[in-house]
Amino acid sequence: MSRSAVAWALGAAVVVAGMVLLPSQLYTGQVRVVTAVLMFVALAQAWNIIGGFTGYACFGQVAFFGIGGYATAVLMEHANWSFWAALPVSALGCAAFATLIGLPLLRLRGHYFAIATLGVAEGMREVVTNLGWLTGGGAGITVPTVGGRGTAWLGNDGFYLLFLTLAGLAVGVATLIARSRFGYGLRAINQDEDAAAAAGVNTTRAKVLALTISAAITALVGSAYAFQQVTIYPQRLFDVDITVIMIVMVVIGGAGTVLGPIVGAVGLQFVSEYLRQHYPQEHILVLGAVIILVVLLFPSGLTGVAGRTGLLDAIWAYRL
Amino acid sequence: MTAPSKTPRALETPFLETRDLTRRFGALRALSGVSLTVAPGTILGVIGPNGAGKSTLINVITGHLRPTAGTVCVDGVDVTGAPPWRIARAQVARTFQIVKPFRGMTVRENVAISAMYGPARGMSKRMAFELADGMLDRLDLTGLAARSPAELPVGDARRLELARALAARPRLLLLDEVMAGLRDAEIHSMVQLIRSLRDSEGVTVLAVEHVIKAIVAISDEICVLHHGEVLTCGAPQAVLSDPRVVQAYLGTRYAQRDGSS
Repeated sequence: MSRSAVAWALGAAVVVAGMVLLPSQLYTGQVRVVTAVLMFVALAQAWNIIGGFTGYACFGQVAFFGIGGYATAVLMEHANWSFWAALPVSALGCAAFATLIGLPLLRLRGHYFAIATLGVAEGMREVVTNLGWLTGGGAGITVPTVGGRGTAWLGNDGFYLLFLTLAGLAVGVATLIARSRFGYGLRAINQDEDAAAAAGVNTTRAKVLALTISAAITALVGSAYAFQQVTIYPQRLFDVDITVIMIVMVVIGGAGTVLGPIVGAVGLQFVSEYLRQHYPQEHILVLGAVIILVVLLFPSGLTGVAGRTGLLDAIWAYRL
Repeated sequence: MTAPSKTPRALETPFLETRDLTRRFGALRALSGVSLTVAPGTILGVIGPNGAGKSTLINVITGHLRPTAGTVCVDGVDVTGAPPWRIARAQVARTFQIVKPFRGMTVRENVAISAMYGPARGMSKRMAFELADGMLDRLDLTGLAARSPAELPVGDARRLELARALAARPRLLLLDEVMAGLRDAEIHSMVQLIRSLRDSEGVTVLAVEHVIKAIVAISDEICVLHHGEVLTCGAPQAVLSDPRVVQAYLGTRYAQRDGSS
């Protein structure tokens, strides 16, 4: 291992150890806030793979979140699976779904792709709402966590660790992609799809694979979220706001970078939380103004600005 | 008995062959029954007035546009209608008339991408960057390796376009006006480079060009497109002195005056 690789491994170990030990220093409410931040780090990073690296703005990302959550709830409630079996199977099922819809939808470019995926998410919500015998319909479905059925609820610290693991997984996958040949192919597609194809990039395969990976990670998070919430409803699990939050986080942090979605998710969650506590009446309005300001002042995201001033290069030795 | 085996392959199989290639855009026939052949290791220059169908011809050959009718064969293999990346992996590289660099990457990364995906599917990142460095050196772009392609002047941008095409190690190279906007010295070195690709590496080239002086300097043969049809093909000097060609370019009045003087 080179010296920089050792330095990175050490740095990562310190961060992981600090994150694992963090809950012992916080109140229960604070643990919940950080858990939510970690969930959004994972979600933003997942969206970043298709929307940031590949440049296909998926406005229906919440469909994968909802499918992951509902697949887990249904498997646990109706098939008596444990959460730990339902979690990966939900993600695999959602990955298959993403591959199937990706093949036709990724032929669309720009706004057309965004609108089509938005339609998929809205449609999935209606499907889940109307399959009452399976999903409980609009009344929701409750994941079994007591009475010897299902899996015991993990508790605040348990869910903290679960979402920490998922956030780490998402960041790890994004890092691998960013540094791989596949990642160069995705960035090429993002910047000029015709030129990418002329260079020999199998654009269809790369795009579908990016959407599939993105969907699988999103479904893992949805699955964990359903278990955490215990009772889930279609309106919440397929809420378009969740997609919007992911996109906003990626855009204000820096699309197509690994660091950007982390900065965006952490920043937006904490600013949002701060405003909610200090300006309970008008916090949404102020948050909106903050987002508009950031996008206007830093069009390539907060990390993009740091990168241009050389600050980022100093702390982030490799381009990610 | 030895004579047939000594016949240059050029006389037997063309490396690139289009047959009755037609492409319509609505009512407009951008290409109309274009049949061309390019022998292996030779350079075909394609000229013609604006709107003659030159860029459409390249786009149809490389799969960026589907032909309405007709076929494209590369090295005897029918590639008609194949997607661009598949044609690229048959070692066909192209440049774009309006340069299409990946603007969010450095010049070096731009070239490395072609090396990663073009020639051999399994080329590692490290090998691709080594090949890219060699190509940057060859095209005199080494000093610009870390720059963003968005800030390059036209001459450098055209050389980058060519470096990317060459990093794919093509056997067939399709050039869409690589000389446009270049200064005389730049045109001269571009001519030298394209000749050396043919002479020392046996690359087959189809070059669309407006700079007549340059096209004459590199071409073994020239075809003239006019209104989507092949007007004439042949040796460069013969084609350029063909009255029909002069007429197509300059109009009837100039052709007559030229003929009377």
